[in-house]
Amino acid sequence: MNVTEAIRADAARLLTEGRARMVIGYRLHHGRGVPVFLTAPERVDSLYYGPQCTLNLAAYLSRPEVRRSAPVAIVAAPAALRSLVVLAAESQVPEGSVLALAVGPDEYHGVVDAAAAAELLRTRYACLEADPDLSARAAELAAMSPRERSAFWQEQFARCTRCYACRAACPGCYCQRCVVEKNMPQWVSTAARGHGNYAWHILRAFHQAGRCVLCGACESACPQGIELMLLNISIAQNVQEQFGATPGLDPEAKPVMGTFRPDDKDEFIR
Amino acid sequence: MEQTKANTKTTRDASAEGFEPRIVAFVCNWCTYAGADLAGTSRMQYAPNVRIIKLPCTGRIDPMFILKAFEGGADAVLVSGCHPGDCHYTSGNYHARRRWAVFHKLLDFTGIDPGRLHFSWVSAAEGRKFADLINDVTEAVRGLGPFASDNPARRQA
Repeated sequence: MNVTEAIRADAARLLTEGRARMVIGYRLHHGRGVPVFLTAPERVDSLYYGPQCTLNLAAYLSRPEVRRSAPVAIVAAPAALRSLVVLAAESQVPEGSVLALAVGPDEYHGVVDAAAAAELLRTRYACLEADPDLSARAAELAAMSPRERSAFWQEQFARCTRCYACRAACPGCYCQRCVVEKNMPQWVSTAARGHGNYAWHILRAFHQAGRCVLCGACESACPQGIELMLLNISIAQNVQEQFGATPGLDPEAKPVMGTFRPDDKDEFIR
Repeated sequence: MEQTKANTKTTRDASAEGFEPRIVAFVCNWCTYAGADLAGTSRMQYAPNVRIIKLPCTGRIDPMFILKAFEGGADAVLVSGCHPGDCHYTSGNYHARRRWAVFHKLLDFTGIDPGRLHFSWVSAAEGRKFADLINDVTEAVRGLGPFASDNPARRQA
């Protein structure tokens, strides 16, 4: 039985038995894996899983419409399972309200709850290496002069149309009201150019510090092909180096930016 | 018009001669501001290039403040507060320190020279340290020259 068929069978069972009132999975639409929200067991044949499924479905868990349908089951790759752990640690999903149909790179792990998801991550996916190409590219950029880097990012950010697809695709961006939409005072210019784009991308990346699981959903959602993952991995590496934290692996871990240690490094402070 | 614009840009970018850095300092009310006050009442001389913005605590200094300062034309930003363990609100500076540790590297990664963003702990008794800090930062930024007007962090004319 392939992964898609196994997901269909489990989804049908969860919905029939009432263990989930909604299953969020993928279906194939013009060659892309798009989300599908199922509430009836007879519709599970539309479910699909394959390499085209790059969205992180945990992003839907904080939507009010989905919350009202709890308990919910989502199809989740290891990165999405980590998102689930982060969301649970930040009290964004009520305990026991979410199940995951866990898929690995080449196998299907079946239905897991939050605790089992954390266990699966710990035992099987604790040291998933970040994409080596991405790390190499970030290192290449870090080796440039500030002037070259600013030119690189200027070209990248200039393409941004401020559609906020990156925000919509991200499970970590769950604020009811985003700071870019606040206008008294207006912190970030909403015009799709120059400093407003810069401020938006810096803030988006920074607000995910210690929470980003490097799932890549933001970058794959970006219609302009901005290399958002470079910002994310740069932050993730810093968080790892300075605070020894890998977000989304330990359900007991305190949020990295919401806590501190008196002996945090401060050699950059005079 | 185009020509005037181009001229202004050249003057601001190439004017290493006579360039006076504009430095925005975000300081906490209880330590660094009091330290600056001490420097003043002790009649210590320090560079007049700094614009001080007083906030209740370093924990109140949102990274957006720093972005706004660069956006509005600051050549450098200085952030300063109570030494670790001395926060008036117990832990504001510890939280702030975590934030800065990530944020200053992010700004560096996106092309803002690390020499344009300075952090310091200055207590209410350290008037001398405050004066020296301002002088040193001013000199360092004078060496770097004006913040490039084409940096993506800057508001474009």
